[in-house]
Amino acid sequence: MKLTTCPHEKEVRQSIASGQWPAACPPELRAHVAACRACGDLVLISVAFREARAESLAAARPVPPALLLWRAQLRRRNAAVERIGRPLLGAQIFALATILAAAVAFAGFEAHRGVAWFTWSFWRDGLFSAASQWNHLNSGSLAALGWLLPITALATLALLGGAVVYLATEKQ
Amino acid sequence: MPWELTLPETLLHTSPGGLEQAAGAGACDPAMQNEAFAAFYSRSSRPLWAYLVRSSADPALADDLMQESYVRFLSAPGAPSLAADGETAARLYLFRIASNLLRDHWRRPRPASIEEVPEEFFSSRSDAAQTDSQILLEPALRQMKPRERQLLWLAHAEGYSHREIAKVMGLSSASIRLLLFRARRKIADLLRAPAATAALGRNS
Repeated sequence: MKLTTCPHEKEVRQSIASGQWPAACPPELRAHVAACRACGDLVLISVAFREARAESLAAARPVPPALLLWRAQLRRRNAAVERIGRPLLGAQIFALATILAAAVAFAGFEAHRGVAWFTWSFWRDGLFSAASQWNHLNSGSLAALGWLLPITALATLALLGGAVVYLATEKQ
Repeated sequence: MPWELTLPETLLHTSPGGLEQAAGAGACDPAMQNEAFAAFYSRSSRPLWAYLVRSSADPALADDLMQESYVRFLSAPGAPSLAADGETAARLYLFRIASNLLRDHWRRPRPASIEEVPEEFFSSRSDAAQTDSQILLEPALRQMKPRERQLLWLAHAEGYSHREIAKVMGLSSASIRLLLFRARRKIADLLRAPAATAALGRNS
């Protein structure tokens, strides 16, 4: 498509923008617009769009500017909170990783001591003897603590781990 | 209802006190203080809404996008300030935000059901209230591509130069010149067609 522009286009554009078209325009320019396709298109479109613009300006119902300022303020504050929250999330993840590492280290240490964590007999014997050990404990025998201590430690770690996971995921 | 939507009563009115209260917390750029923004807003909001409503043919969408444009304008760290860069630069930046929002809207999937089409789309169809420009221009605009509508509006309603339109649309001036030339030809033919049809009807 060839881009053909008329040398009078600028003049026509200015007369429309200043509101001189058509009454206050020289007759030569009006005659030119009647004969020139490019200038005729320009007048047709510009007049239609300017009328449409005037109608739309009258129809607009803008909200109070204070509302927009307030919303922008909220958005900036939320963005700032988000920025501040990023290191906190990192700290929570670090705490979770530390607790998990402590649990693994504890389990490894107990396994090294000879406690067979992953055997069925360990748990079966443990459950059957729990009642009798509880009786021993009640009667003041500290030897019973030997079995209950790792279970209590694990339960505490699990509880703390759950709390950390909750805190870490609460934001989401 | 989200707490963000429950507004203090003072903010629901355009009172100077409410404005100061909203802007006084120091959240805005110092150059874009309450009075400067209010003045800028009063001069630019209606043209921006007109641009959005004529480009989208949806008054409700135009309302939403206009508010979002101003909020982004106020929140953007790199937005031009009225004091340093002038109102023209601020206005071009605002129109650019609005154009990007329109483009994002058009990229999203269209409404699937009739319930999702805004009511204004149907209520504005009554012929009684339509003026000449609406009768001729609206059907022609509906046949144009969204980008062509934007280009034509910026050039012929807002009176922006090719360079300014290029800034708003994020294209080169050379591309704008070619696209605008084609869009102008197309809409001129569309605008002339009903007029020619009416003239033929009168003669026969």
